[in-house]
Amino acid sequence: MGRKAKTLGNVVNFLVAFSLLVYLSYALPRLMPGDFVTAMFASSHVTLSAQQEAEAKAYFQREEGFGLYLLRIVRFDWGWSYALFQPVLSLILQALPWTLVLAGGAHVLASVCGFVMGVEAAWRRGSRVDRALVGAMTMLEGVQEMAVGVALVAIFALHLHWFPTGGAETPYAEVSLEARLVDMAHHLVLPMATLVISYLPGNFLLARNSMVMVLGKEFILTARAKGLPEKRVRYAHAARNALLPVLTRFGLRLAFMVTGVVVVETMFSYPGLGTLLFNAIRSRDLPLVQGVVLFSSAVVLVVNVALEFVYTRVDPRTRHAP
Amino acid sequence: MSTLRFFLRVLLSFSVLIVLATATWAHGAEIRIADSKGDWGYPNPWKHYPRGPGYVRMSWVFETLVWKDENGIVPALARSWYYDRDRRAFVFEMVAGAKWHDGKPVTPEDVAFTVEYFKKHPYGWVVLDYVERAEPTGPNQVTFFLKRPYAPFMEDVGGTMPILPKHIWEKVPDPKAYGEPAAFVGCGPFVFKDFDVAKGTYLYVAFPEYYLGRPKVERLIYVRALDPLAALLSGQAHLANIEPEMRPLLESRGMTVIADRAGWVKKLMINHRMFPLNDRRFREALAYAISQEEIIEKAHRGRGRAASYGLLSVDHDDYNPNTPRYPHDPSRSRQILESMGFELGKDGFYYKDGEALRLELLVSPITVAGQPAADRDGEVIRDQLESVGIRVDLRNMEQTTTDAKVRNWDFQLAISGHGGIMGDPKILNEMISEEYAAGSVNSARFQDNKELLKLLETQMLEMDPAKRRAMVYRIQEIFAEELPSICLYYPETLAAYDPKKGIRWFYTKGGISKGIPIAQNKLSLIR
Repeated sequence: MGRKAKTLGNVVNFLVAFSLLVYLSYALPRLMPGDFVTAMFASSHVTLSAQQEAEAKAYFQREEGFGLYLLRIVRFDWGWSYALFQPVLSLILQALPWTLVLAGGAHVLASVCGFVMGVEAAWRRGSRVDRALVGAMTMLEGVQEMAVGVALVAIFALHLHWFPTGGAETPYAEVSLEARLVDMAHHLVLPMATLVISYLPGNFLLARNSMVMVLGKEFILTARAKGLPEKRVRYAHAARNALLPVLTRFGLRLAFMVTGVVVVETMFSYPGLGTLLFNAIRSRDLPLVQGVVLFSSAVVLVVNVALEFVYTRVDPRTRHAP
Repeated sequence: MSTLRFFLRVLLSFSVLIVLATATWAHGAEIRIADSKGDWGYPNPWKHYPRGPGYVRMSWVFETLVWKDENGIVPALARSWYYDRDRRAFVFEMVAGAKWHDGKPVTPEDVAFTVEYFKKHPYGWVVLDYVERAEPTGPNQVTFFLKRPYAPFMEDVGGTMPILPKHIWEKVPDPKAYGEPAAFVGCGPFVFKDFDVAKGTYLYVAFPEYYLGRPKVERLIYVRALDPLAALLSGQAHLANIEPEMRPLLESRGMTVIADRAGWVKKLMINHRMFPLNDRRFREALAYAISQEEIIEKAHRGRGRAASYGLLSVDHDDYNPNTPRYPHDPSRSRQILESMGFELGKDGFYYKDGEALRLELLVSPITVAGQPAADRDGEVIRDQLESVGIRVDLRNMEQTTTDAKVRNWDFQLAISGHGGIMGDPKILNEMISEEYAAGSVNSARFQDNKELLKLLETQMLEMDPAKRRAMVYRIQEIFAEELPSICLYYPETLAAYDPKKGIRWFYTKGGISKGIPIAQNKLSLIR
């Protein structure tokens, strides 16, 4: 198959997958039991008469059909939130930076640290350091992020008072930009540490196993026989070839960062797309739910496409894969 | 070594910056209130969420004619009022000197305009069906002319209707779509400055020209905090609703804990439109099978009080002490079931015509005062009912799913709860009659007892408090006899605050506005 045909095939696959995701983002939220008016008014202090209820439903729950929805999506008109009276896209963009900082930062940190630690442990396979790291990481792998978060809050926030218990920054603090940035970093430490501690063991164990496999290959023996420095053999020859599975894991995890951090966002009252989606589902805010679902689906798709590209850079052999 | 030194320097600088930053924020002119959800909509009548915390956020900005404190109704924009029986009208004398946040004076014309505007663009919290019109009848006087007498007027309209600035809203054709800064111009003690949707935070600043005097704090901030205990202990918040278990620790750390009267009730919703729940005798058997005390003891470690079966709170001025009661009596429950033709099977459960008596009970973490609270009520009730021979399938669901099923009568039993039972007895109409609350999931929507329906209708028209009380007494009796839903218990409703901030928070008698059981009364920051 020619290169052009392959590229065209990829584009077609991408478009088909995107269309399917758009349809799912439209159809799935509609399968949820309950509706916005029931969620907002049913157990509130406002007791709606039958007529008021019908009027509210007519105002908020105008059904447009998939065709119109699709048309709006491609025109970047993602609708308005029922509950917040704001454009869905603007709400997503307000929450996105926080998710990128927390979830994205934690993924990068956990992946880099996990990979380097995994490479170093595999290189020292069987040593005391390796055994201790494998033992500790295997144990940590079994601890839920909720438990990690609770422990960190109890020790570092409530007992030692080193860090705040929640939030992304001190709300409405009248301080300079530098102090605000420091404050944000201060608030970020515990939620990010929770995520890093949760993600690190998996990355470490995967990188170590991958590295152990690579270290047994003949080209490593050749590199050593050529008298190359140890660091070069370890990273340029071995680690580079052990990187692919770690990269795949990074991509998959990153793709699910929207929904994957709901627990930590909720626990630390940290803003982000997870919290936005959680609240939108609770109030059956259909336009917002479908907006966030579509956005996160698009992230999954884009990350997968990006991974295809990165694979070919990291391991040129994948270019020739059928 | 040099790397280590570099890292130590960075760490030291970071710590110094944090200390400096913290010192800058630690001034006493602001109050921070913790809330687990954070997002309650924008604080104006059409944009706040229709639950209590949404209304409270609006109440800092907008004023009503009267308000309530810990003892009952007190003057607000109206300094005095009376009911003119001959003209069937409420007459309010307004305070002089009240100003809108943009500096313009508050006038009786604004009040009259508000009524007309809410008639055109209904606001769910205020029912104006009984109000014919409102008009200025003096330089500082406004009169509400009623179509019919309306007993809950003072709480329902006087103490709940936010007064709008005419000069702003008269130009607004669709208030739901209006989001300009002017949409948040009120004459309340605080000026709305910001709502951060992503962070769930609100900022209000003091309105220096507030007619009751400058508020005690310059800034009022809501912060989102899942755990009120952690927020209070870490100093991130100065006031929060708390769980009863948190009380001893918070008190030991110098926090003041306050408790509300019984203003919120947990109920067993019953689908009385289907067999066997449509039979009053069967509902009575359920009531005898359920031990309120055991639920409180087992699911809440004794923190709560048994509820009156007549719906109105036992702390309400109009509570009828002779409301029928159903002390826990499993044998009586079995007798009733057997008198209805149910037969006890060898497995210890009842059957009728060979079919097992089996009920489904829906439970979900119910939001109390803005906080979702999970409990074991469902398990305890299931055990109690099964011990008398009624098999129960317990189904845990998310609250909106349960609400939707109850709303559509797609359930048998469900655990629910609501506030308002310390407010005006109009709550009885809303929680009993379908005519008042067809869309409510807390309302029994019970239309089978004609005497009850008649009383509900007439108590709304009775302006004589003594006569109305007699009707309200009888309504409670009938409700407890019919049991279209079974009141279970009043959970302890507590809030904790930091007394060092110099503010004394309190729970409002009858709840804020229409019975909101939240200790965030604006008068705490004024008087």
